[in-house]
Amino acid sequence: MASVIDTRDLTKKYKQSTALDNVNLSIEEDSIYGLLGRNGAGKTTLMSILTAQNFATSGDVEIFGEHPYENSRVLNRMCFVRESQKYPEDSNAQHALASARLFFPRWDQPLAEDLIDDFRLPLKTPIKKLSRGQQSAIGVIIGLASRAEITFFDEPYLGFDAVARQTFYDRLISDYAECPRTIILSSHLIDEVADLIENVIVIDRGRIIMDESTDEARNRAVNIAGDAEQVQRLVAGREVVHRETLGRVTSATVLGRLSETDRAFIAEADLDLTPVSLQQLIVRTTQGADESQHADTDIRSLQS
Amino acid sequence: MTTTAQSFDIQTPARPRSRTLGVVRFQFMNTQTFVWMPVLVLGGVWLITLLIYWIISASGVEGPMYSGGSQAPLWYFAVVGAQAMNRTFYFSQAMSLTRREFYLGSLVAAGISAVGISVVFMFLGLVEQATDGYGINGYFAYLPWVWVGGPLAAGLTYFVLTMLTFILGFWFAIVLKRFGVLILTTALLVIALALLGGAALISLNTAWPQVWTWFADMQSMGLTLWALGACVVFAAGSYLTLRRLTV
Repeated sequence: MASVIDTRDLTKKYKQSTALDNVNLSIEEDSIYGLLGRNGAGKTTLMSILTAQNFATSGDVEIFGEHPYENSRVLNRMCFVRESQKYPEDSNAQHALASARLFFPRWDQPLAEDLIDDFRLPLKTPIKKLSRGQQSAIGVIIGLASRAEITFFDEPYLGFDAVARQTFYDRLISDYAECPRTIILSSHLIDEVADLIENVIVIDRGRIIMDESTDEARNRAVNIAGDAEQVQRLVAGREVVHRETLGRVTSATVLGRLSETDRAFIAEADLDLTPVSLQQLIVRTTQGADESQHADTDIRSLQS
Repeated sequence: MTTTAQSFDIQTPARPRSRTLGVVRFQFMNTQTFVWMPVLVLGGVWLITLLIYWIISASGVEGPMYSGGSQAPLWYFAVVGAQAMNRTFYFSQAMSLTRREFYLGSLVAAGISAVGISVVFMFLGLVEQATDGYGINGYFAYLPWVWVGGPLAAGLTYFVLTMLTFILGFWFAIVLKRFGVLILTTALLVIALALLGGAALISLNTAWPQVWTWFADMQSMGLTLWALGACVVFAAGSYLTLRRLTV
């Protein structure tokens, strides 16, 4: 598969902090990526630089093989509506959508109209009087109906209720099936998007700490619980990303696949083996990265 | 919800061939900024000026009456410039526009609006000329010094000054967004100090008579050309500032 986005040693430094730290990514065409990470991890900064709305301190970006800055050939094929998008003074949703129709070459008007109904978006109310969820709906409609070859969604569901979120996920999947393209969905509702995304990129303190397919990521770790001594024997020498002990019972999240011998041992020692959800894995790893800087434990970062 | 089901046959037929022309339509999408506010300001000031003239002439004053009221829309264009920049820029970035496309399109949109308002100004001036100041010798648009070169020259002067205030408003808004309020205020203070320094220099050399003669000799056409030059310089300056503005 061809890559549509490539970054090399992308770094963004602000006066006080480093927002991106040597980011190397290659994003394939026609795939859904989850860009996951905590608030302030660098998700929005990364997307801003990829769309030339912001500038890197050093490193390279290539979108469709070209640099995106002031390059309408490339920008034309991308869509990035940010989480707290600003709209022109006194404009309403109809103005915003009509503008989007002017500039996105693959804009799908019937789809936009369906989405307006789905999200019950009032078209004539000034945007600043809309609720948070309705404002988010404008961004979601522009993102979906633009059908841009690379579409970024930056926490698109803020203010959405559960129904609206599900509508977004359903619409995203069905439209993606009809019109495959590269979608980069930044989110911290990891469990909700876990079934949606084919690839997962986790960013923490400006560094990419995970970049692989969602299936691979899911198989990377298991959770083992039971008698502390037995658990310790099993996990010795493995990478433990999280460990909790309560009395004589220990629960440990370990990386790597289990062998037949391991499984036999688990059965014999009466340990509990549970799969680790994507959310748990990411929470444990990002926590691990924090703790390993302070405490002397056997917690290590997932960076491979 | 009933509001959602409204028809969505938006008034945008085909996609513009040039994205820069798209920006012009985008700026006019909400007609308030570029159409109705300038019309309201010009119309309002015109009405108030005429009422004042009428009151004065009713009290028996005979001489011709001139006012600076017709410059009000000019100043409003500084606000228009700042507004066209402010939030619209951020939305234009979400529309995947380049900064150059946004800048040129916004400038063209301002140009169209400025032509409109200059035509109204010319029309009012011609009416005043023909009716001897609405029959009461009161002039709003027909200011002899501006109209020396005829209606077209007066219209051009008005257009150039409108564009100049627009570009300045636009530039100040960009500087504010890019460098923050501290730098903008500092820059304004430096400009004020520079002007003051210039004035002091002229005073110390007792050169004010020469300066006024120069202005008088320039006539409005010469000053218009100077203003046009300033427009070009400031436009280039604001583009260079915008080029590296981040969202």
